[in-house]
Amino acid sequence: MNFRDIPMWESAIKARAHHHTHSHTGHTHFWQHAMSRRQFARTAAGTAVVGATLASGLWRSGLAKATGSNEPLPIPGGIILGGQTFHVFGPGLSGNPPDQEPSTITDFNGFVGLAYLNGMVTRTNMQTGEVDTLPFLFSDMRFMQGVFRDTDGRVQQGAFALV
Amino acid sequence: MYEPGPGAQSHDLNPGIKTDGLFWTIAISNDGVKVDLGKGVASMKATNVPIDDYGTIGNALFGGGPAPIPGVVSFTVEWRGVNERINIRNDDPPASGGGFAGEFIRNTAQMEWTATVGDFTFVSDPLETSSSVFAEIGHERNGGFFP
Repeated sequence: MNFRDIPMWESAIKARAHHHTHSHTGHTHFWQHAMSRRQFARTAAGTAVVGATLASGLWRSGLAKATGSNEPLPIPGGIILGGQTFHVFGPGLSGNPPDQEPSTITDFNGFVGLAYLNGMVTRTNMQTGEVDTLPFLFSDMRFMQGVFRDTDGRVQQGAFALV
Repeated sequence: MYEPGPGAQSHDLNPGIKTDGLFWTIAISNDGVKVDLGKGVASMKATNVPIDDYGTIGNALFGGGPAPIPGVVSFTVEWRGVNERINIRNDDPPASGGGFAGEFIRNTAQMEWTATVGDFTFVSDPLETSSSVFAEIGHERNGGFFP
C-alpha cells in the first residue's frame, strides 16, 4: 500500500465502520470473518469498533507499551487507519505492492525477512483440559538484524522480530 | 488464531505498540537470526518472547476490548528458495513509504511455534505442514543509512 491507495482503504474502512454501526450484537461481526490476524483488511475491524468503545470503560488503547532506551525507532511512514498511523507496511498483502518496505525500524542497515504464514495450532485449556485445533492465517512474522540508531542516538548492532 | 471454520478470531498475540509507534517489534537474540542471501535461506528462532493476547486485531490496534493477557511465544521461521531477486530503491519521502533501498529475494517460508497465554497453551503443527502466502528476505538500508 502506498499513499495512492490510502483513500481507497479509508473508503473501505468507513464503509465497514458504517456497516458495523448498523449491526447488532449476537451475531458474527464482519471482521470476525477476516482472513488474518495481520492482514490489513482486519484492521478495519479496529476502526469499526473504536468509535463505539472510546467512551466505554473497557481497555482503551493498543499504545500501551512504554518506549525504553536503546530501542530502535519506528519507520516514519505506515498504514493510516481511522486517521491514525501504524508504523508498518504490508508488502505483498491484500493487493499491497510487494515493493513496500518490510522493516518496521528506521535508521537501519541490515538483513530483513518477512512472511505471511498459514498453518494449524492445537490449543489446550489447562484448566478444563479442552483441546481444539485452530487455524493461524496470514500470520505476519519478520526479522531485522543489523546496525540501527537507537532512541538515544547511538548506533548499535541487534536483532528484532515483528511478532 | 480463529475458531474452527475459520470462525471468529479468538487470539491475537503480539508484543504491542510502543508509545513512539514502534509496531509489534521486539528485540530477540542476535544469534537467533541467520541469513545467507547467496543461497536464499534464512531462519529466525526465539524462545519465550513476551507478548500479549489481545483477542482481536481491533482490540490490539485501538483498544476498547478486554485487557490483554500476558504470555510468551517461541517460534522458528525458515525461509528458503529463490523465486525472484529484486533491487528496490524508493526515493519518495519516508513518511510516504520511501527512503529505503535494498536487495530482496522473494521465496517461501514455514513456521512452527508454541505459546502460553493465561489458561491456554498453543502448539503448532510441525513446520513442514505450514505454508506462506508471501515471503521475502533481503538486505535493506533506511533512515540515516539510506544512500
